[in-house]
Amino acid sequence: LEPRTLGPLDHDLSQRLERCMSIVTSMTAGVSEREANDALNAHVCKGPPQHEEVCLGLFTLVLTEPAQAQKCYRDLALVSRDGMNIVLNKINQILMEKYLKLQDTCRTQLVWLVRELVKSGVLGADGVCMTFMKQIAGGDVTAKNIWLAESVLDILTEQREWVLKSGILIAMAVYTYLRLIVDHHGTAQLQALRQKEVDFCLSLLRERFMECLMIGRDLVRLLQNVARIPEFELLWKDIIHNPQALSPQFTGILQLLQSRTSRKFLACRLTPDMETKLLFMTSRVRFGQQKRYQDWFQRQYLSTPDSQSLRCDLIRYICGVVHPSNEVLSSDILPRWAIIGWLLTTCTSNVAASNAKLALFYDWLFFSPDKDSIMNIEPAILVMHHSMKPHPAITATLLDFMCRIIPNFYPPLEGHVRQGVFSSLNHIVEKRVLAHLAPLFDNPKLDKELRAMLREKFPEFCSSPSPPVEVKLEEPVSVEMDNHMSDKDEGFYDNAEAAFSDDEEDLSSRGKKREFRFHPIKETVVEEPVDITPYLDQLDESLRDKVLQLQKGSDTEAQCEVMQEIVDQVLEEDFDSEQLSVLASCLQELFKAHFRGEVLPEEITEESLEESVGKPLYLIFRNLCQMQEDNSSFSLLLDLLSELYQKQPKIGYHLLYYLRASKAAAGKMNLYESFAQATQLGDLHTCLMMDMKACQEDDVRLLCHLTPSIYTEFPDETLRSGELLNMIVAVIDSAQLQELVCHVMMGNLVMFRKDSVLNILIQSLDWETFEQYCAWQLFLAHNIPLETIIPILQHLKYKEHPEALSCLLLQLRRENWSLSQPPPPHPLSSQAPPLSSGGALVGRASPAPRALPSASDSGCPCSLRSSSSKLAQLTLEQILEHLDNLRLNLTNTKQNFFSQTPILQALQHVQASCDEAHKMKFSDLFSLAEEYEDSSSKPPKSRRKAALSSPRSRKNATQPPNAEEESGSSSASVRAAGAGGRAQRGPVAAPANGRRPHLFQEEEDTKPKPTKRKRKGSSAVGSDSD
Amino acid sequence: MNGGTDPPLFIKDIKPGLKNLNVVFIVLEIGRVTKTKDGHEVRSCKVADKTGSITISVWDEIGGLIQPGDIIRLTRGYASMWKGCLTLYTGRGGELQKIG
Repeated sequence: LEPRTLGPLDHDLSQRLERCMSIVTSMTAGVSEREANDALNAHVCKGPPQHEEVCLGLFTLVLTEPAQAQKCYRDLALVSRDGMNIVLNKINQILMEKYLKLQDTCRTQLVWLVRELVKSGVLGADGVCMTFMKQIAGGDVTAKNIWLAESVLDILTEQREWVLKSGILIAMAVYTYLRLIVDHHGTAQLQALRQKEVDFCLSLLRERFMECLMIGRDLVRLLQNVARIPEFELLWKDIIHNPQALSPQFTGILQLLQSRTSRKFLACRLTPDMETKLLFMTSRVRFGQQKRYQDWFQRQYLSTPDSQSLRCDLIRYICGVVHPSNEVLSSDILPRWAIIGWLLTTCTSNVAASNAKLALFYDWLFFSPDKDSIMNIEPAILVMHHSMKPHPAITATLLDFMCRIIPNFYPPLEGHVRQGVFSSLNHIVEKRVLAHLAPLFDNPKLDKELRAMLREKFPEFCSSPSPPVEVKLEEPVSVEMDNHMSDKDEGFYDNAEAAFSDDEEDLSSRGKKREFRFHPIKETVVEEPVDITPYLDQLDESLRDKVLQLQKGSDTEAQCEVMQEIVDQVLEEDFDSEQLSVLASCLQELFKAHFRGEVLPEEITEESLEESVGKPLYLIFRNLCQMQEDNSSFSLLLDLLSELYQKQPKIGYHLLYYLRASKAAAGKMNLYESFAQATQLGDLHTCLMMDMKACQEDDVRLLCHLTPSIYTEFPDETLRSGELLNMIVAVIDSAQLQELVCHVMMGNLVMFRKDSVLNILIQSLDWETFEQYCAWQLFLAHNIPLETIIPILQHLKYKEHPEALSCLLLQLRRENWSLSQPPPPHPLSSQAPPLSSGGALVGRASPAPRALPSASDSGCPCSLRSSSSKLAQLTLEQILEHLDNLRLNLTNTKQNFFSQTPILQALQHVQASCDEAHKMKFSDLFSLAEEYEDSSSKPPKSRRKAALSSPRSRKNATQPPNAEEESGSSSASVRAAGAGGRAQRGPVAAPANGRRPHLFQEEEDTKPKPTKRKRKGSSAVGSDSD
Repeated sequence: MNGGTDPPLFIKDIKPGLKNLNVVFIVLEIGRVTKTKDGHEVRSCKVADKTGSITISVWDEIGGLIQPGDIIRLTRGYASMWKGCLTLYTGRGGELQKIG
């Protein structure tokens, strides 16, 4: 029985099924059909266990033996005495627990079986259909998932009459497929599936609107997402203007929006596996240890652009279905808001992000305390509350969304939405989810406009309900909690405000108070004395003195000295490590100014860089650099940094800057990894991303400055990270882009690798236009063969991805002409290919080896006439002049550039073919090649041959208008000259490939089709001697 | 359908010198690949179950197949000290089987 297996199912289950199957086959094998029937019937009559054996045996045969399925199903129908109940249960069990492990044939057979069950109208088949729909993963357009979606849809469409008998099946099918429509677009196959789904959903919605109403307000959310599809546009018109047409009992959209979505619908869009994993996270994983689980989940379900739509399902599920018990809520288990925060921060596309926010707030909009649950609206407020400190941007964007959704959700119902949001907020305060909203709404971390908008929309929540006196009482508490690093609770004003609390007493009126609160944001208040008294009391006496000295000291040098003393004291044997946290708070307060000012000097020279790293705080870094990594002082300093990092996240990128800028830290970039592991984040990737993010927010110049070293030092973390690239391209301007491109071309910076570039470019499709262009420019600056990213084509849509398409088209035109699709339809000759600029770029890189000889031979003989004529416009003299300039000016890279064999060979080749005047003029240049000649053992014959054809080709090259008409004959001379070996790809490809300095190192392994791309140097020699 | 019928050992109970171990664990991290003199690829992977975590040394191709998050059953493994760390190995006739 070995070949018939169900796949790696659970041992028990599959063993039991296989045992049943062998019982059945032992009774039916080798006997007539009649005898087999009798035997089965006789066995069934022995009792319920035997009945079950036969049912399961036949069921297993149906799944594993497609050829016998028909017959076995018939037998099953005949012998079953429980209306197929055993089989239905087993199907449900397999679907819920083992579907992912089922082999493909079994899946196909399972679909077949369910279709038969539906056809026979077996009671309970609707339940199996719903379980089946649950297996269709949202945001997944892999072939297997599409197949499943289509197969189940086919059953439902074929058996529509039967579907109409079950109200819950109607609602569930509509909910499922309305949601799936969003994923199905792009290819013709998906488009066809989408049309079937649209037709199916619409017919049910139109005929059975009352059944669909039972879904609740999420029906509207799904309908919003498909509203642009013409058929749904019509439905929307009826919903809004003519609700009675859909059902006499339907009074309008408000009715739907006010009814809470039943949990079974929210749950039905997660596969059992997703559900298990989310529930595990929210019931078993401790807060602070969620990273790995989130990574696993993300890798499995959220890593593709198509999967973005799944975020909304997850968020709705968490808000509406995951309602932990009070014990869990009060434990240290990962709270729901943290998962939501994770889902929001990892969103890569703007559309997905705003859909995710809508999903998060969806129960707020028409919230009614009697019908809705506090648990549905709690995650949103808690995400905002808890993100204020670590990710103020998240809080800000959510608050902004909350304000803007009121008038914009549906203008005719603006009043209702406002009422809904207000009751949510009231309910939140009433239930003490948060005691006051003022710390959230009127927080100095939010920008001025946002606070003004919040104040305007929610005046009653912006002022603290308690008199100022009480506020004062609260603040010392909050300061204390900061010391102990508890950011769990409220009391959310940060230290900046605590430091100003003295002033606050005088200002009792609200207006003035607010005016004061803007202060910390302004850069000008840096000089204010800082109040660190609460911390000082907790310090050891000697340490306290030094900190006070530090506070008084005004010049940097003196401060540095004191700082060094402090560091020394920390490293002493008897230092109490409990003090680290307090010390960190003091330092953070004292050196606030450092974190506000510019890090990178205006003009970057060695001196200015060295000067910029002379800050007292950087002394900790310097000490760190000088230590052995395994020593205990080293980890103590890391602990201090980790404490500092908790209070002042900016220190992360300051460390990066120090490691790059300081001479003392040369080659010690890996210290950052130790630092990252010592922080609470505990992980290089997260830490790096957060620091780069912080850097991006504070100082774009610095971000650009750090980029090359980050990519060089941490390739594993950076090269796969679309997030990081997006961070960079989202803020740079064109000058900074140019700078990065130059770094790439000079070989100082590698931002893409062949194995990950495709994925990153796919991610980039959702970015802003300029961001995408930047990404492409950076990509093009690398020497990655275009073939690597060709699979991106299947993600591209003519209307949605103009940026990527135009960049790709421009590249494709110059790349691989044997691609199966025809060359781009643009008139090739009407636009000047940027070849001349490619030539101009010779200075930066090395297209010369390809471009030079081909120019001298008057271009390529292939069908790319327009391009070859363009190439011919580059005269030999221009190229030589350029190279000569390069020789004179490029002192640094000359050595490398002119030592490359292909360059030298090309020079020799040209020298042999050009006239005496040129030989004289560029004698210095050619002398470089002569040195090479001495060491080469090239047969002299080939050069002479080349010389024969050269006068003619030179003429062509210098007379562009003739080049085209003569290209036919010149191609012959090209072959004679020995350049024919590479002719089919021609020089057109050269600039595209050759713009980078690594060309020749990389070509060996990047070359996918050696027959088509011969290396110029060697092949020229080879074909000559033939 | 071979082996693995005994209840698996918890990682906390693994001691140096134990042999014929059956352990079920989840892969946390895949370490750098090192090459031995005779050309074998060796990866040190950090794996864990609910009781603890341990490094397992995975040899050759199979190391390229496993990913973080995989749930794996080790049959007939053994444990010994390597560079001061308790390390798990696949023994003779033992195997690693991805079960989730």
